[in-house]
Amino acid sequence: MKIITFVKHVPSSGATPRIAVTKRGIEEEGLAYEANETDLYAIEEALYQRFVHQGTVTAVTIGPRRAQAALHVAYAKGVDHGIHVLTEGSHGTDTALNVAAAAEVVKKQGFDLIFTGIQADDDLQGLFGIALAEHLGIPVISAVTQVNVSADKKTAVVTRELGGGYKEEFEVDLPCLCTVQFGIRPVRYSSIMAIVKARSRKIESMSLEAMKIASRQASRMSIAELSYPENSGQCQMLDGAPAEAVRTLVANLVEKGVI
Amino acid sequence: MGSIDVVVYCEAGAGQTEASNASLITAGAKLAANQGGRVVCLLVGNDIAEVAGELGQYVDEVRVADAPRHADYDPLTVLGALQKLVVEIDPCAVLFGHTHIGMDLAARLSAKLGTSLISNCFDVQCEAGATHFLRPMYRGRVNAKVAVEGGIIVATIQQSGARQPDLKGGGQVIAIEVEYAEDRRIRPLKTIAPTRSGVDIAKADIVVAGGRGVGEKENFALVEALAAAVGGVSACSRPLVDIGWFTSSSQVGLSGTTVKPKLYIACGISGAVEHVHGMKESGTIVAINKDPDAPIFRIADIGIVGDLLELLPLITTEVKSTRTA
Repeated sequence: MKIITFVKHVPSSGATPRIAVTKRGIEEEGLAYEANETDLYAIEEALYQRFVHQGTVTAVTIGPRRAQAALHVAYAKGVDHGIHVLTEGSHGTDTALNVAAAAEVVKKQGFDLIFTGIQADDDLQGLFGIALAEHLGIPVISAVTQVNVSADKKTAVVTRELGGGYKEEFEVDLPCLCTVQFGIRPVRYSSIMAIVKARSRKIESMSLEAMKIASRQASRMSIAELSYPENSGQCQMLDGAPAEAVRTLVANLVEKGVI
Repeated sequence: MGSIDVVVYCEAGAGQTEASNASLITAGAKLAANQGGRVVCLLVGNDIAEVAGELGQYVDEVRVADAPRHADYDPLTVLGALQKLVVEIDPCAVLFGHTHIGMDLAARLSAKLGTSLISNCFDVQCEAGATHFLRPMYRGRVNAKVAVEGGIIVATIQQSGARQPDLKGGGQVIAIEVEYAEDRRIRPLKTIAPTRSGVDIAKADIVVAGGRGVGEKENFALVEALAAAVGGVSACSRPLVDIGWFTSSSQVGLSGTTVKPKLYIACGISGAVEHVHGMKESGTIVAINKDPDAPIFRIADIGIVGDLLELLPLITTEVKSTRTA
């Protein structure tokens, strides 16, 4: 079974990125990055399927040079190959271009299953996996929480999330793509040592610009302005010493008649 | 005249998020009014005549495919119906709720049409001939005002209780037949209802919920102790279900339960859209988080920045002493 998984390198969860002076992007300098969280779930699912059905797992990242760090994490988790599509100009932010590049890469590799995270924590768009499947002309199920592959039948029974706690089960022909939801299986801890060791693993690198890919985009989304979210102004922040804040809080709640 | 109407895909039935329809129609009406066009709603499901009739009060036209075979969500069949409608009425925009099904369909349609997907919008602004959509980026820590050049706009709209559509009345409800998609490589097998076990958190007057900020599992006892002291129930946000501490019956959010208690205390919950969706209509919202920039403070009424391990026992003790006083 040939499995491909995609991992994006995104700003770390802890910090609020600084908005650039142009207000159309963020200041990348000094920003810490990490592997996108749902992509880690996708990697874990890919490795589980390899455990059950044998085969190989290839992890692909699309982004600037720093994005190789996401592949080091993937190697530390146990993938077999790492491919880096280097983007110099677009910084990997053009989904349509990324999809076109990804399609080239996976067609060359061959695959039975592709796993991507459901969305990237930076653009929060949720388009990449579905658009890639559409580009490749293969079936896709989104928000997947369970995958049972029947290798002989070349099908998989896949469970996805719906709203309000409902789920739905589908039978899907392989090859197919699943965009993986949080929690599909536990994300194992990767030690710093394992990640450092992974840095010596070979990464196949190709340049997106050299791939001469034109995006199939009929329309284009552009950022007019970035801003920091304003508080609604309704939140009363209780500053001061913890004990004092707590007394004010409880007095407030009693006054409102909610406790 | 084409490219002025707006298509909204509304939801009704098991696993669909009916509550998202109102915000969706409000956004659709705003866009359509700006263009001088109509709002046309597509509804696909089983036993949904009542919802179709109700939606007809708020839009110009409802196309409803109501049949037992549409009981399970079949993405390719609904996508086919959407594509047909797009060809027929040539809309300027197709909008979906920012829900599991809305996101699935919007991404599929956007990929088919080769357009950008503007997901997760919390506001639509039409001014001076330009239309902008406001949406979060970077885990909700930055907002982006985006525009689309060329092509049909495909967007998903966040649910908000504050956005109720204006009653129009007299919208036509037209029954349509939607054929199964010819592509049967994806075959719906069954819809699975959530298993509700233990306490029904949707019925509680007070909910004390813990999130990732709780840290270690044994710390959750502090959340439970506070819940007991205030006479409420404890609940959690998605990450605690994902790591296996709880089942989804304890989870507040888009993929769990929507709650509207008179008091909601969010402990170590950052306030991701997924979670906020399920609790923002609560009466009073208290947020406790060590991160002063956490999005949860934007919807909270009262906030404390600090360490849960220190604050929760203090609050529990204070509540108890107030009660015995």
